[in-house]
Amino acid sequence: MSSLPMTEVSDHSSSKTLVNDNVSAHATVLVCLPSMSAEGVHALAGDLKATSPHINFLLASCNTPSDSIDGSGRVRMIEYPDQPAHSGWILTASDYLNAANLALEYRASATMLLGTEAATLPHEALQTLYTAALEGGGDLILPRYPAGPHEGLVSAALLHPLSRALYGIDARMPLPLDVAFSPRMASRFQTAAKRAVSSVGGEALLWPATEAAVASFLTHEVAVGRRVLPQPAVDDLNSLLAHIAGSLFADIETKAAFWQRVRSVIPAQKTNATAKQTAGDDDLAEVRPMIADFRNAYTNLQEIWSLVLPPQSLLALKKLSLAEPEAFTMPANLWARTVYDFVLAFRLRTINRGHLLGALTPLYLAWVASHLRIADDDQTRAEQHIEETSAAFIAEKPYIVSRWRWPDRFNP
Amino acid sequence: MGQQIASALHQSMDRVLVMLVRFLPGLLAFFLALLILWFIGWAISALARRILTSARFDERVAAREGTGSAASLADWSPANSPTLLVSRAIQWICILAGLALGISAFNASYSSTPEISLFLLPYLTHLTGAILLLVIGVLLARFLSRSVLIGSVNAQLQYARFLSLGVKWLVLVLTAAMALDHLRIAGGIVDLAFGILFGGIVLTLSLAIGLGSRDLVSRSIEKTIDKPLPSRPVEFSRETDVAEPPRPKLRHF
Repeated sequence: MSSLPMTEVSDHSSSKTLVNDNVSAHATVLVCLPSMSAEGVHALAGDLKATSPHINFLLASCNTPSDSIDGSGRVRMIEYPDQPAHSGWILTASDYLNAANLALEYRASATMLLGTEAATLPHEALQTLYTAALEGGGDLILPRYPAGPHEGLVSAALLHPLSRALYGIDARMPLPLDVAFSPRMASRFQTAAKRAVSSVGGEALLWPATEAAVASFLTHEVAVGRRVLPQPAVDDLNSLLAHIAGSLFADIETKAAFWQRVRSVIPAQKTNATAKQTAGDDDLAEVRPMIADFRNAYTNLQEIWSLVLPPQSLLALKKLSLAEPEAFTMPANLWARTVYDFVLAFRLRTINRGHLLGALTPLYLAWVASHLRIADDDQTRAEQHIEETSAAFIAEKPYIVSRWRWPDRFNP
Repeated sequence: MGQQIASALHQSMDRVLVMLVRFLPGLLAFFLALLILWFIGWAISALARRILTSARFDERVAAREGTGSAASLADWSPANSPTLLVSRAIQWICILAGLALGISAFNASYSSTPEISLFLLPYLTHLTGAILLLVIGVLLARFLSRSVLIGSVNAQLQYARFLSLGVKWLVLVLTAAMALDHLRIAGGIVDLAFGILFGGIVLTLSLAIGLGSRDLVSRSIEKTIDKPLPSRPVEFSRETDVAEPPRPKLRHF
């Protein structure tokens, strides 16, 4: 097994991110803006010009006239392909493909792909992103936005722990809203995105951090300011969770040969995130419906869960379903094992994949209820609980590796 | 008298023997055709399996179906292997061809007494069709009942299991009626029984849903009626003014 340091997390403040003239003089940064309005693009051009006097920018947008150059000659507008149309709230494989094609065509020194609502990003954040790509030596730069206890829950429950445990990538948003990358990463994205688009279609997702990990490229996570987090147009958690989790599980299946060899360098930490014992009725009002839904699911979905989960996990879920809302806590190791069992069932096609991902939703809501109860609107407690969840995924990694290799072995 | 009885017995024995002599070659031809085609099917399917395995067919299908597809070829394959599905399909096609060939040979050898073959040949075909119908029906019933169960649970419906069972039995009853109708067994009775049973299940489900969601419907109607009314300014009480700020909205993504 190899021990690979996949991720570095850095906090680039504006004072640290002043561009080193020697390194990035005459560098060309491509900025892809698939969803930004014409006014936003022009405002962004002005900001970029003001912050970085030695860098040339190529702004790719479908809403501005192409091949126009501003007065200083440092900002050039180029055409961004408008087909297939940008999906709206998340970056898809076709967005990565378009950005990678442009990056390789214009030989950009670094590329930034900015998602929906990118106009709300602080100016320093943009500079932080491309500076890390130009100077930091990172091939993939992922932003880390400050998120409250009620935000980014799918990332906190599934995407972050799985990416961290399996690939050694400690990124809070493995499916980023904005991203910056190097030319060799662009080349990698081009190949991977082409494959994804041709096999699944325009709505296919690309997991940039896992692509970087498999290619042994270095990933940096940089702390940037708060931005508006775009939300999907359709408010159907079941289909969205199935789409995201299905894509991640399929990616895990494809890269099984890689992640079974990776031994994460991140030490498993034991934290003591316990819930406030004297939670009042008001505090539990938010989680009570979720707990009721979980109990309803436990009553009805046992037949399906028993095809996927071992008896030990089913017993733990039974205990959880009997717990009072004041004491409702899904143990981190139970959640980790449950997710791993679902990943394995996805691979083995134990049941229809659509059914499998649908059966995961109530379990995810049970984790969310547990998280909200433990966090109790406190950011520090929420972070502690996410850290504990992530540590449990790391600790349980031998379980998934063993079951992946010998799925028919007795599993009590 | 004794001679007449002996003669009658001789004649009937002759007839039976002649019938057996005519029947046996046809039966032999039927089994021979089945055996030969089974062997050919086995050989072709083994060859196909070897070729597809060497061409990594399973991996290619999995890669082509990719990530987003909910239902895929492998879902319908034995042991989740499309290669196995193709090879078994080839084998079964050959066996069915052997069956048809054998029945045809049987029919040819029985041309003098067409009533048996005329009864057997279509009946065997219908039997095969009925078995296929049953298999498809059972698979469809299981798929639909699980879909309804998971969808209902995720829609927070309390009677999810009941709905799922209802759908499962609807499909199973429909399948059984279709299979029996295909076999032409008691057509009239089956039609009548099916109509009563199906109608009964639908009525039960309608009543259950109607009664179960009575409150929901009445709330919905009340909401619709109340909507255009609040046009005058709302006066807030002191308690409302000092109400605590709303909790942050849950954002899963």
